[in-house]
Amino acid sequence: MIPEVAEVSFEMGPETRQVQATWDVTTYKYKIEGRGMKILCDAMKEKKIRGIRCNECGTVYVPGPGFCRKCHIDIDEVVEVKDSGEVGTFAVEMADMRGTPVDMERVTAQIKLDGADTWLGGTIEGIDWHDVKIGMKVKAVWADNPEGKLSDIDHFEPI
Amino acid sequence: MRNVAIIGVGYTPVFVSKRKDVNIVEMISEAVDAAFHNTNLSPDDIDALTFGNMQTFEGLNLPHLWAADHIRALDKPTIRISTGGTTGMSTLQAAYYQVASGLHDIVMAVTWEKQSEGDSQVGLAGIVMPEAMVMVQNGMDLFGGKGMGGMGGGSTGAASYQAMSYLHHSGASPEHIDKMAALERTNASKNPYAHLRKVTTVEDIQATPFISWPLRYGHTCPTSDGATVAIVACEEKASKLADQVAWITGVAACTSDPTTANLIEGQITDPAEQQPARIAAEKAFAMAGIKNPRKEIDMAELYNGFAHQSLMWLEKLGLCKEGEAHKMLDKGALDIDGELPTNASGGVFSTNAIGASAMNRPAECALQIMRKIEGGHQIPKKVKKALAHGWGGLFQYVTVMILSDEPREAK
Repeated sequence: MIPEVAEVSFEMGPETRQVQATWDVTTYKYKIEGRGMKILCDAMKEKKIRGIRCNECGTVYVPGPGFCRKCHIDIDEVVEVKDSGEVGTFAVEMADMRGTPVDMERVTAQIKLDGADTWLGGTIEGIDWHDVKIGMKVKAVWADNPEGKLSDIDHFEPI
Repeated sequence: MRNVAIIGVGYTPVFVSKRKDVNIVEMISEAVDAAFHNTNLSPDDIDALTFGNMQTFEGLNLPHLWAADHIRALDKPTIRISTGGTTGMSTLQAAYYQVASGLHDIVMAVTWEKQSEGDSQVGLAGIVMPEAMVMVQNGMDLFGGKGMGGMGGGSTGAASYQAMSYLHHSGASPEHIDKMAALERTNASKNPYAHLRKVTTVEDIQATPFISWPLRYGHTCPTSDGATVAIVACEEKASKLADQVAWITGVAACTSDPTTANLIEGQITDPAEQQPARIAAEKAFAMAGIKNPRKEIDMAELYNGFAHQSLMWLEKLGLCKEGEAHKMLDKGALDIDGELPTNASGGVFSTNAIGASAMNRPAECALQIMRKIEGGHQIPKKVKKALAHGWGGLFQYVTVMILSDEPREAK
């Protein structure tokens, strides 16, 4: 049985007026726990990657939070992980944020570094995008003059 | 705990890109009026309301209070719910809780989105704004991909990571995503409340450009304007008020770590793992007394902003074995007249007024059970038990609802 409402034919009415408005997100003041990020950035100045390990369950987070999300305890053991690892997953950018096709495809990936339990984002170069596979081993290529920034890892390339 | 039934559903007359002829509350009131019409109830019959949409998407802080008279909520308790993509089902679950607990007898759940009046990219960016600011200050290039900035291409990017991981672990091919997309768009062509309603072939999908491999433009959902309302009632009232009802026999929700966000505290893991889906489904099945979901569930309405997700959710929710969903697709089992009709409505993939999207899933299940589907997507076999699913947040929040043609037996 079809309810009556389906039989009402629907036509869009005339367009009503519109006003323009904005919210300015730059006026907000966010407090963040930035210790793990500082540990990571300081390490990157030496072309190294450091996170924080939980003594209880052994999980290594990069960058490290101040507490273990599994054990709910404060953690502070700084550990170094390798700058190589395997591709956890990847995508190939073929259009930009507004949908315009890009000139050159770019492989972006989430990489599980050896010794870490969380994934780190980065681009993969030096390989045709058709040949990139999940589980593939890759290594970081560092900037010549690291400044202690996330961009000190220029990209990853296959080993 | 009391038994609760959906006794009626109301949709806006259309779900489209831009409703320029009505403002937000006028549009919502259309769905409210339709729900009253379809149930023969009047505002006086409603004890309380729940109200849901995405925060920040339209830049409104208190839409439920602006809408109070349009949704006929004056003098009544009204709670706003906002849980991301799952908002619609959370809003219905909030209505369910109030009736199951005995607090109220009849509650109306109102869900909507008018995406044309907002900016979805700003709404999505607002979710990760603090950490994005930190990342940029520490050298991340948001668009250039350096310094962990590889987001894979806008909001589709994270979904591409998920799709890639799903394909790798399931053995499905990118062509299966095309096939699922064509099936759901064609289903949507039969649904008068779907947004993209065109009979679509695999070739049509494959003619669309890639946004971010393995996802094409033709694998992504639209942004829609529309609203959906459901009215729930306790067992005693439901049997008096309606001839056909759909019983809510199981509800569950589950969260995990974000998996695709919070880069500043090392939270990135596999976005295709979706452990919350498994946990929520198991809880909902247990509550509904379902022992063998693969046999007992007659249909599924799944939350799929992207076409690969329908296949992924079938596996994660336990409706088939891991790696089996694409084989069911190939067999025709997911068709409207198949063994397990999946998104007969066309899914979120064809209609996405976000706040209403996770409500449309149980609403469609309820209408299928009541056999009150308008248009041509009524499932031919008798639907006894249906699974509705919602998904969202930072890739990590899942809601599940089981609907049935019979109430849960008293324990």
